[in-house]
Amino acid sequence: MKKLIILSLAFLMVFAALSSCRGRAKIEEVTPPPPPEVEEQPKVEPVEKIEEPVTVKEPELTEEEIFMSKTLEEINLEAPLQMIHFDYDKYFIRDDAKPVLEANAEWLKKYDAVVILIEGHCDERGTEEYNLALGEKRAKSTLDYLASLGISAERIKTISYGKSLPLDPGHNEISWQKNRRAQFLIIRK
Amino acid sequence: MKIKWTLLGGILIFLSVLILHPQQEVVISIKEGMPAIPLALPDFIVRSSLPEIITIARELHKIISDDLKYSRVFQLLPKSYYSYIRPLNPEEIFFKDWESIQANILFVGEVPESEGKKFLFEGKIYDVKAGRFIFGKRYQSEKNLLRLVAHKMADEIMKIYGERELFTSKIVFISNRDGNDELYMMDYDGYNQTRVTFNKNQDYMPAWSADGKKIAYTSYRNNRAGLYILNPFEGEITEVVSKGTSFAPTFSPDGKKLAFCSTLEEGNPEIYVATSEGKKIKRLTFNKAIDTAPSWSPTSREIAFTSDRGGTPQIYIMDAEGSNVRRISFGGSYHDAPAWSPAGDRIAYISRVDQIFDIYVLNLRTEQVIKLTESNARNETPSWSPDGRHLVFSSNLTGTIQLYTIDYDGSNLRRLTSNGENKLPDWSR
Repeated sequence: MKKLIILSLAFLMVFAALSSCRGRAKIEEVTPPPPPEVEEQPKVEPVEKIEEPVTVKEPELTEEEIFMSKTLEEINLEAPLQMIHFDYDKYFIRDDAKPVLEANAEWLKKYDAVVILIEGHCDERGTEEYNLALGEKRAKSTLDYLASLGISAERIKTISYGKSLPLDPGHNEISWQKNRRAQFLIIRK
Repeated sequence: MKIKWTLLGGILIFLSVLILHPQQEVVISIKEGMPAIPLALPDFIVRSSLPEIITIARELHKIISDDLKYSRVFQLLPKSYYSYIRPLNPEEIFFKDWESIQANILFVGEVPESEGKKFLFEGKIYDVKAGRFIFGKRYQSEKNLLRLVAHKMADEIMKIYGERELFTSKIVFISNRDGNDELYMMDYDGYNQTRVTFNKNQDYMPAWSADGKKIAYTSYRNNRAGLYILNPFEGEITEVVSKGTSFAPTFSPDGKKLAFCSTLEEGNPEIYVATSEGKKIKRLTFNKAIDTAPSWSPTSREIAFTSDRGGTPQIYIMDAEGSNVRRISFGGSYHDAPAWSPAGDRIAYISRVDQIFDIYVLNLRTEQVIKLTESNARNETPSWSPDGRHLVFSSNLTGTIQLYTIDYDGSNLRRLTSNGENKLPDWSR
């Protein structure tokens, strides 16, 4: 019995709806059909925004970790330690080289596992034999200065190339000045 | 004074020639400043009609002739003189003929018939005045060793006159012709330039052992300039010092010791000495200044070296134990690269004046200094020939660094290399 009542009620409703539609159609014949009556359909749940990260994000690297991730070649290419220059025939540390070495010492204190090689170089206006010794002296006075700034001499090795590896192949004062130098190579970290 | 000595020398040679005997070992000491001995070197006799043999004879003659001319001991008679006398007959030599054109020595070379890859060569030396045969030598060899055979023969002639072998000596040097600095060696005349080391390392400052079998040199490996001893004929390498930078090696003429410069102990360039195998390293200099470039006296009892202990680089001599140091270079502000002559009476070195490097020779007996090179260039690293009449050195005379030889009196400048840049020569003993 209940079913019958529900069915007849449904019939009545559909009939009423249809008759009202007909009524409107008479007034506005050119308008397109109205949109489907979505209100009456079951509503789709609104899109759930997922705020949680799906993949694990790497934590920000510390400077130390970035440093360790690089190869020695990459670090040396960046040349964190600036070279210094010398006077003709001399191996004492010039005043303009001191701040450079101080900055280098700071860097070495920061990266305290780093071992460096100081290369002593000369210009072409000295003899092969004496120049090789002079390059060694330049490397040694650079080492001594860094040691005086608190860098352990254990972390520093020296080598001399004499005049065999000029930075600038020219034969003038500008080239010679560039070539009289102590430069740094990081050999361990 | 010079004339007197020359006369005396002439008499000495004359007397020595008089007492020559074929069976005896003939040793005549030739002193510098003496007139060169007139030597006749007629064309070699060819016992064959094969064009190849004729070419061999001509080449041998050319090389021996060049060697003897270079020696400064002999003076070759002009070829035109031979047309004044009867042609050479090896079976019956008319010594009077050769005497008439002022020959003291007659060299007769013969190239007999031979087949295959080998050739034969026979050389005979005659004392013209005494009219007798002094010495003869026969060689059989492959054709590619023709230059060596000729040099050996020429050295035999030198040995008769009390000289060290010169023409078979070798010069070791550094060249970058194949990319990086490596060891090379060549004959005294620049022929047979041969690569000795094959690596990617920078090799530096080679020095022959007294017996010419080993070479000590510096090699840059693993961020270190280490000292190595190489046996180039066996291909063996041993490391001498495993700490610091070590360079400028030099073997003592008695074959027992090896001196070198090293930063072994306190990081300061000092002179050390070891056995010729590089063992038992002992420090010789104790000085805050630079001490480098050692060079042994021929007696192996003293060492010349460079030091800037007085403010500028100068040449000093010390006893082989490191004591008794005395300065020997004066009058300049930059002296380096001493090379003690085989006779012991002279030291060649480089002096820098206004950016020009020239070779000077100090006579230790007279304390006279002569300037050997006169150039607007950098002349470096002099090394004496075994007989002490010539020096090899490097120079950037032509714009690139090349090797040259020059005679003890500044004459006869010869260029030996042209391929790449070539430097740091050392002439074998």
